[in-house]
Formats: sequence, structure tokens, C-alpha cells
Amino acid sequence: MKCKRCRRAEAAVDLPSHHAAFCPDCFFVFFRRQVTEGIRKLRLLAPDDRVLVCVSGGKDSLVLWDVLIDEGYETEGLYIDLGIDGYSDRSKEKVLAYAASRGKTPIVVELAKEGIPIPEAARCVRMQECSICGTVKRYFFNRVAAEGKFTVVATGHNLDDETARLLGNLLHWQRDHLARQHPLLPGADGGLVRKVKPLWRVSEVETAAYGFLKGIDYVTEECPMSFDATSLVYKEALSRIEDRMPGTRIVFYKGFLDPSNPLRKGPEAAVADDAVPTPEDAPAADAARATEVEPEEGAGTPGACASCGAPTYAETCSFCRLKERVRKARSLRAERISR
Amino acid sequence: MYNKRMITVRLPQKKKELDLPGPRRVMDLLADAGVRPTTVIVTQGKKLLTKDHRVEDGATIDVISVVSGG
Repeated sequence: MKCKRCRRAEAAVDLPSHHAAFCPDCFFVFFRRQVTEGIRKLRLLAPDDRVLVCVSGGKDSLVLWDVLIDEGYETEGLYIDLGIDGYSDRSKEKVLAYAASRGKTPIVVELAKEGIPIPEAARCVRMQECSICGTVKRYFFNRVAAEGKFTVVATGHNLDDETARLLGNLLHWQRDHLARQHPLLPGADGGLVRKVKPLWRVSEVETAAYGFLKGIDYVTEECPMSFDATSLVYKEALSRIEDRMPGTRIVFYKGFLDPSNPLRKGPEAAVADDAVPTPEDAPAADAARATEVEPEEGAGTPGACASCGAPTYAETCSFCRLKERVRKARSLRAERISR
Repeated sequence: MYNKRMITVRLPQKKKELDLPGPRRVMDLLADAGVRPTTVIVTQGKKLLTKDHRVEDGATIDVISVVSGG
């Protein structure tokens, strides 16, 4: 198969969803154009932004960092060590190696040192690891960005991630989540930093192909905590549809983002996505109450957490509430052991 | 004795290795391995293979899952 762009070289990447196949050099041009168009169309980044790129060691975040560096953005990487035996060390190695290859030193947050390593925290409060991980990551993304005077936080969520989330939200008619789902979550006064997903137009196959062809050494093993993540079920369903009807995923997501879509209120509605506690942040018994007691989601300026000062619409932020629950569970366990 | 050469299909994330008869296209090898093409990239050494690429007997290819969860 010949490259559809240069029509000379042998194709290395075939993309049925675009009715196209590219040689490596033409694929780089195509991929970068997809990302920069995604940034331009939704005004995700400005040329003078200071971008904090959240990197996990996986393909998407490292590829995102690579493209943003090549496009001339001022970037720093943030790696959060989740404290998962073996996996976290291997992921960190990949991040450090990539960063060194680009002359960078990433900011590293170690959750073990912060007193909240994910596996132990999940055991203590009997919650799903992925749910805790989301709360903790959102907290540190925002905190590190605010402290480091970054103007924007960028994550490597791709088209597959976003459509899986969309499908999940639709199947459960999560109208409030649907209203806030967008590649651009605007910042707000009170320390909430803007958050963007510049890879929203590219699929996982495309980021993996880009990473491989660029020689980016990413961690290919999956997080051992995510083996039963519900997002994988939605991804599987969507990839079955994509196999039969290539291009469905991008049509699905672009249609959702259309400003005329009544399910969406626009990016303004997403302001407080980080600050508003989700039902998953609360204990199961408190889940309903947590959504009821919050003020109008996304409205107004968030206040400061009574405990840590982070932006929140509640009295204390979801991270501090989680930390407090872990602390109580630990002291209960210590009491039981000492008896 | 005649020793038929096969294609070695490695699936590192599943810690699995299959020997399949060739020559065959990548998409046919994936079907035999029970892998959906939109969930993987397929490599041979430093080369990335398209799904219609014909793989010869004796070759070794890697099927790398691209699906991330969480």
C-alpha cells in the first residue's frame, strides 16, 4: 500500500476512519496537523501559555508532550508517582528518560510522601482505585499548576478516552457530567487553572503509531489497578463499532461538541469540573447527599478549602476529605491492632 | 525431515506467543489471534505494518495493544 499523501513511499499507518494511509514522514505531518487543528478550533492554547503537561509514562501523555515541545510551546512535565509497586517505578523511568532526551526535568509528586499512595488509600476507604486516583490527580494537577504559575494544564486524553466517557455518561444519563464534558475546562478566579485535552481528535492507534515511529519509549503495560475499569467496557463497545463502521467515533464526538447540541451548555459550564466533588469522591452512603448539597455546579467563583486552601465549592475540598477518611481508617486499624 | 517455517506472533502484554502458518496478511493473522485491528499496532523490528501488509514465513511480529484504561 502506497502513502496517500506523497504517493511514493510505502505506507506504515493505515487509518480507515480517514480513508487514508501514510508513510512515516507524511503521518507525522498528518498527526501534528490533527493536534494543532484541535487546539486551534477550540482555542485550547495560546502561543504565550505556560503549559503543565501531565505525564504518566504512557503513550498519550508522552506523545502530547513531544508534539507541544515541537510546536514551540513552553512546557514542563508533571509526573505523579501513584505508589503502585513496580508499575510506578517503571512508569517514572520512562518519563525521566523521555524528559532527559528533550533536555527537561519533570516535576515529580510522590503520593507515598504525601501520605496517600493509591493502593493503600483505596484499601483504607474501600473505594475503587481509579476513583481515588482521579480525585488525587486532579488536586495535584491544579495545585502544582497554581504554585508554578502555569497558565494551563494539559492531559493526554485522546478520542477513544473522550468517546468512552461520553458513551458512559449517555448510558447513565449523567446530564450534569454531559454538560461539563469538553476538551477545554476553563479556569476560574480562586486558583482553578484551565485544563485542556489537545489530543481529542486523535485515536489511541494514532498516538501509539506516532510514539512508535518517533522512537518514544513509553510504558506499554496497563496500570494493574485499572483491569476492571468501566471505561474499558465502553472502549471495547466503541472499538467493535469502529471496526465495522470506521469513522463513527470522531463523528460521535464532534456531533456532541457541536454548540447547537442541547446536551451541552458549552465550556463555561465546565468551569468547576475539578472543584465540584463527584459522587465517586464521597462515601457510598453520602453519594446522593454530596450532589444535593453542592451549590449550582460551575457557577460563580469557587471558595477556598478550609483545610488546604484549594479551590472548592464545598467547605473542604474532595482531596482533603479523602485524606481525612484515610487518616481515620488508619487510626482505627492501629487501635484494633493495639487491642 | 521437512520442517515448515511459521510466522511468530508475539503479544507481549498478554505474555503470549503464537506460531501461525504464512505467508499471510497482518489482518488475517490478527483475526486468527483473536485481536481486533482497531485496538493494536503491529510492528516488525523497527517497522510499523499496515493491516494489509503480507508477512512472510519465518518472520516475527509484535502485536501491541494500545488500549489504556482507568
